[in-house]
Amino acid sequence: MATLDAATLTVRFSAVGHGPRHWWRDYVSMLRWHLASLRMWLMTLLAVQILSGVGFVLGISLFFRHIPVSAALYVSTGVPVINILMVGLIFGPQLVANQKSAGSYEYLRTLPVSRTVTAAAWSTVCLVSGIPAMVVSLVVAQLRYDLPLHISPMIVPAVLLISLAGTMMGYALGHAVGNPMAIQLVTQLLTFVVFGFAPVLFPLSQMPGWLATLNWWFPFRHMAVMTRAALTSTGGSTVSTAYIVVGVWVVASAAVAGWVLGRRR
Amino acid sequence: MIAVVEPRNRLVRPRDVLRSGLSYWLSSLAAMLRFDWCRMRQWAGMMVAFQTMMGAGMVLIYGFFYPSITATRALYIATGAPTLALIPLGFVMVPSGVIMEKLEGTFDYIWSMPAPRSAQAVSTFALYTVLALPGAVLALLVAVWRYGVHLSISPVLLPAVLLCAFMSITVGNGMALAIKNPMVTNVVVNALVFVVLLFSPIAYPASQLPGWFAAVHRVLPFESMATVMRAGLTSGLATQVGTSFLVVGAWAVAGCAATAWVVGRRR
Repeated sequence: MATLDAATLTVRFSAVGHGPRHWWRDYVSMLRWHLASLRMWLMTLLAVQILSGVGFVLGISLFFRHIPVSAALYVSTGVPVINILMVGLIFGPQLVANQKSAGSYEYLRTLPVSRTVTAAAWSTVCLVSGIPAMVVSLVVAQLRYDLPLHISPMIVPAVLLISLAGTMMGYALGHAVGNPMAIQLVTQLLTFVVFGFAPVLFPLSQMPGWLATLNWWFPFRHMAVMTRAALTSTGGSTVSTAYIVVGVWVVASAAVAGWVLGRRR
Repeated sequence: MIAVVEPRNRLVRPRDVLRSGLSYWLSSLAAMLRFDWCRMRQWAGMMVAFQTMMGAGMVLIYGFFYPSITATRALYIATGAPTLALIPLGFVMVPSGVIMEKLEGTFDYIWSMPAPRSAQAVSTFALYTVLALPGAVLALLVAVWRYGVHLSISPVLLPAVLLCAFMSITVGNGMALAIKNPMVTNVVVNALVFVVLLFSPIAYPASQLPGWFAAVHRVLPFESMATVMRAGLTSGLATQVGTSFLVVGAWAVAGCAATAWVVGRRR
């Protein structure tokens, strides 16, 4: 009679692998995990992103009898920022809030995957889901307003950094704030701020001075500067400052998220 | 001597008071008002804050979008504030409330109460209409302070604001009741907010819209809401006020009808 060896029943503790090969394998599994768990949402999210982006680009012209080119240019080069930020900054924390309410949050934390892998996979999802809406919004804007756009290669680092910043800020928010209701509230407030109280869709000079100064400390103003510079082929010292400020936000948010996720509870 | 209790008196009998008639309806309404107010009390502050934030916030944001703000433009934006505060209450908070009630079972519980359903509906409408007013006023005050406009308030304002609040609440309620699936209601609500905030001539004149789109807005309630409110706040800025009152009134009737249709059916 075959006896059952107890040793075969135990799972080896070294399941969390190290080294680039393991990292890559885990990264692919987590990516598949995210895509599979979002499969119903992803299409809806994409549609909402495209509709809201195009809606903003077209809707702004109704505010004016004859829309000035500069106003159209500001909106058209600001909407991509919102498109890229939306999933990582707004939808991400809401997803975490839902997971916290539903209990799957604890489960996800028990997976034998390192935190950096999870973060990298989620950043990829956020980046990929923002780009189609950004492209469609820009094409519609170009068709509607015939804008003087000159797209430079700097759009690549700009989009990468903005997406990473949005994802990391959302990550920090979702994981550091315990109460799901509070997360929902903060994300709704953030939507309001990004659309209206940060100079993303309109020039800085059109808001009160103190609000413009306050916005220097937040990343949204700088994200708009980065995108606008890449889409209209302008440059200057403000652009490099923008990259630095947004970079600092990435590091700070990642640090907060890492600290929260690394704690034992 | 021991009193003999007649067995007949120990039976629980149905109450022989008539559960109909005006006095029963009125006492039901009073009871439902107390019940609804007790439920709503904890949210009332948040509702006013949310409305003020939406109304005043949107008015400030609209201002940022313009390179220069002329006196007429400022007047349009400022007088759009109360409308922008009323719409989120009626078209977002009321349907969300109904969705929550459906999910939590409160909805069925209320229907099981021995109060006429018409009294239940009237109580909801009345309470929300009263609760809608502080937020609208606060939003208007913020707008007036920000843009420094001079308003000339006329007596038309009172019926205008009451009708607008009532209309948005009845339509929001009727919509949430008529659509069975809460997910669909949620999508409709979000789409509505987007359309209203971006594509409705509330903070700017309808003459800026393309012809076909302006025609659509003559049927939808949003432009008419803004017009009747503007008629109460300014003199000479709003035109076709009578028609606008009719449009808002018609939507209020439609909202009531939708509510009555759902509430009146047996399940």
